Amino acid sequence: MVGFIFRRFFQLVILLFGISFLVFSSMYLAPGDPASMIGGPTASKEDVEAIRDNLGLDDPFLTQYGRYVVDLVQGDLGYSYQNQQSVAEAIGVRLPNTLKLAIASMIVAIVIGILTGLISALKQNSWLDVGSTTFALAGISIPNFWMGAVLILIFSVNLQLLPVGGLSSPWYTIEGIKELILPAITLGTGAAAMIARMTRSSMLEVVRADYVRTARAKGVKEREVIWIHTLKNAMIPVLTVIGVNFGSLLGGTIITEKVFAINGVGRLMIDAIAARDFPMVQGSVLLVATLFVVVNLVVDVVYTYIDPRIKYQ
Amino acid sequence: MRKKLLAILAVFTLMIVSACSSGNEPASGEGEGNGKIDTFTYASLSDAVGLSPIMTNDSASANVTDHVYEKLFDRNTETMEIEPKLAESYENPDENTWLIKLKEGIKFHDGTDFNAEAVKYTFDKLRDPETAAPRASLMEPVESINVIDDYTVEIKTKYPYGPFLAALSHSNAAIVSPTADKEGDLNKEPVGTGPFKFAKWVPGDQVVLEANEDYRDGAPAIQQLIFKVVPEISTAISMLQTGEVQFIDNLPMEQIERIESLKNVTVEKVDGTPEYYFSVNHGKEEFQDAKLREAFASAIDRDAVVSKMNGLGIRSDSVIGPKVFGYVESAAEAGTPYDLEKAKSLVEENGFGEKTYKLLTPNRSNFLLMAEIVQAQLSEAGFNIEIESMEWASFLDTARQGNFDLTFLSWSNLTADGSELFYPNFHSDNVGASNRAQYSNEAFDQLVDESRTTTDQDKRLELLDQANRLMLDEDAVVIMYHSIVTAAMDQSYEGLLLEATGKWNLSEVTRK
Repeated sequence: MVGFIFRRFFQLVILLFGISFLVFSSMYLAPGDPASMIGGPTASKEDVEAIRDNLGLDDPFLTQYGRYVVDLVQGDLGYSYQNQQSVAEAIGVRLPNTLKLAIASMIVAIVIGILTGLISALKQNSWLDVGSTTFALAGISIPNFWMGAVLILIFSVNLQLLPVGGLSSPWYTIEGIKELILPAITLGTGAAAMIARMTRSSMLEVVRADYVRTARAKGVKEREVIWIHTLKNAMIPVLTVIGVNFGSLLGGTIITEKVFAINGVGRLMIDAIAARDFPMVQGSVLLVATLFVVVNLVVDVVYTYIDPRIKYQ
Repeated sequence: MRKKLLAILAVFTLMIVSACSSGNEPASGEGEGNGKIDTFTYASLSDAVGLSPIMTNDSASANVTDHVYEKLFDRNTETMEIEPKLAESYENPDENTWLIKLKEGIKFHDGTDFNAEAVKYTFDKLRDPETAAPRASLMEPVESINVIDDYTVEIKTKYPYGPFLAALSHSNAAIVSPTADKEGDLNKEPVGTGPFKFAKWVPGDQVVLEANEDYRDGAPAIQQLIFKVVPEISTAISMLQTGEVQFIDNLPMEQIERIESLKNVTVEKVDGTPEYYFSVNHGKEEFQDAKLREAFASAIDRDAVVSKMNGLGIRSDSVIGPKVFGYVESAAEAGTPYDLEKAKSLVEENGFGEKTYKLLTPNRSNFLLMAEIVQAQLSEAGFNIEIESMEWASFLDTARQGNFDLTFLSWSNLTADGSELFYPNFHSDNVGASNRAQYSNEAFDQLVDESRTTTDQDKRLELLDQANRLMLDEDAVVIMYHSIVTAAMDQSYEGLLLEATGKWNLSEVTRK
C-alpha cells in the first residue's frame, strides 16, 4: 500500500510537469500580450516595451519556461505579472474559500444524491422513483449560473432569508453557514444528480445479488439487509463517482464563485487568464490538478476499506 | 436506528431553520444619528491591481487611489474645467515652463509634509524607465522637475505642451508620500493626502478605507468605505437591492430598466466622454479607396443603433464628443449622413459586394449588439459581412496587429481632452500600439502635433476642430455613439460626484 501511494505521488510529479508545460505553451501561443494588458489601452509603445523588458517577456520560449521550472522545483511559484504579488500568497488567501465551497457542495451532493438514489432504488417504478429520476435529470441539465441567479432572486431578494454573496464569516458560525447554503446547493446539485443515478443503478444491481437473497432467506431483518449487505456493496461505483465529482467541483467552482462573489481559486484563475497573468494561471492550474489527483488517490485508498478484496501491489 | 436517524434529521432541520430565521440584519450602511455613516460599500466588478497610482493603470485601482491620493489639479465635475487641488496656483513664465505654487500645511497620512520635494519625487519616479510605470507617457513631455522652494515647483517641458494640466489631473499623476514609498510598498499600503486612509486589503475580496479625520476640508461622513469585489453585475444589482452594498457603477444597458425599477435605488446619469466607433483597417491598401469608406459610412444608420442603447447613447457624428475639449457643436452633423440608396449604388458600381469583409469585435454585450445591427445594415446595402468575436485581451492584440478588415473600437477619454483622444488613437506614431484603426495621415498628424505643442487654448480648440473635420471628411471612422455614464446608489444617501468620464467620488456622500 505504501509503495502504491509512493508510486502515485511520483506519477503526480511527472503529471504536473506535463501540465505546466502544456499551460505555459498554450498561454505563450495564445493571442494577447500581458504587457499591453498591464499598460492598458492608453499605454504608448514605449510604455509597453518597458514593461515587456521588465518582465523578461522578450526572452525565447525555452528560456522563459526554463526559468519558471527552475523556480518551481525550488518551491517558488513565482510572482504575478500584474502586481508582483506572490502567487503562493494569492492562492493561499483564496484556497480556504474554494475548499469550503467544494466541501459544502460535496456534503449537499452526497446527502441528497445517496438519499434520492436509495429511495428510488427501493421504491423502483413508484412515483418517488420517477420524481427522483426527474430531479437527477434536471440537476445535470440546469446550468450553474442560471440556478445561482434564480436562487438569489428567490431566497435573497424576495424572501430575504440568505445573503446574496461573499464568504466573510467563519464557516462554523450561523452567518458563515447562511453564506454557504446557496452556493453549495448551486454547485452541489449537478454532482447530487450523478450520485443519485449511480446509487440507484448500483443498488438495483446489488439487491438482486445472490448474497442478498441468501441474507433474506436466513431471516435477516430488512433494515440490516439494506444497510449492511446491500448499501455497503453498492457504494463502490458510487465512491468513484464522488471522487471524480469532487475533482470537477474544484474546477466547477469558477462559475459559482463568480455568481456568489466568492473570493476563490476558480475566480483567481479566470481573472488571471483574462489578464494574461501567466504565473498566476500556472499556479492555480497546478493546484487544481494536484488536488484532483490527491482526491482520486484518497478514493482509491478508501476502496480497500469498503471492499477488502481490493488490494494494490 | 430509526430514532437516531430522525434525531439527526431534526437537528439538521433545526440548524437550517435557525440559520434562516434570524432574518435580515441591518443594512451595513446604517449608523447612529450623528450624520456619520458607519460603513458604505461599493460593488466593484474587479479587484484593484495595485494601490499605487504610479504602478497601475486600470479603473478598479483608480477608483480606490482617487480616494486615498490627490492630484495637483482636478477636473470640476460640473463645469469640466481643470481647477487646482493640491496646487494653489500656476503660471507659465514661458511656453516651456510651468511654475506651480503648492498649498501649504497639508500632511500625508503617515504624518510627513506634502511639499515640492514630494511632487518632484512622485513625477521623477513615474517617468523613470527603471520604474516601468504603465502611464510613464503622462510625463513624456517633461524635461526636468526642479524644487524652487518648499512650496514651489518648476516643471520644464521639452516642447510647449498644451494638455499638460489634463495630464496632471490624471489619476496616475497623483502625489505619493516619498517616505512611505521608500520604506514600504505603496502598491499594497497606499499613503496619500486624500479624504480616506488605507485600512486593509484582502486581495480578490475587498479594499477597506477609513475616514481621514484630519482632512483639511473636514472628515468625510463615511467612516468605513469598502470596495467589495462582485464580479457578476446581476449579483451586484441584487446586493444593492437587498442593502448589502450601497453603490454600483457602469450599469449595463440591458439591465438599466431593472435597476431603475428598484424602489430603494437612485440611478444617476451624466452625458459622458466615452465613445464607440466603427473603423476600417487603414493599414490595408483596399481601404484607401475613399468610395469604399463612404459606402460604409452611408450604409450605417447610427440613429437605429442609438435607439437600441436603452437611452445610454448620445448621437453625434463628431469624433470629439460633446463633453471633450475640442468639440464644436457644428461638428455633430459634419459626418456622412445615412443614405441607404447612395450606399447601395456605391456598392453596386464598385463591386464592393464581391468580397466578404471580416468584422472583428470583442465579445462584450454592447459590442456584439452593435456588430449584429451593423452587419444587418451593411448587408442591406449589398456588403458581405462576417462577424468574428473574441475575448477582450485577444481582441486588443489582434486589432493592434491589424489582423482585421472592419472593427469596433472604444475610448473612455479619461482626460476629456481632444489631443489625448487623437494622439493615442489616430496619430501615426501609435500605429502598432494604441492606434488600432491603423490610421495614418500626415496632415492630421500635423494638426494633432500642433494641438499638443501649443498652450494657447483657443488655438488648440481650432486645431482640434480642424483635425476632427478632416477625419469626418475622409470617413476615417464612423462614430456609433457617445455614451451616457451611469451609477446607482441606495436612495438614503446623496452627494455622489459622477464625472462625465465615468469616474466618481464618494467623499461628499451624506445621509439624506
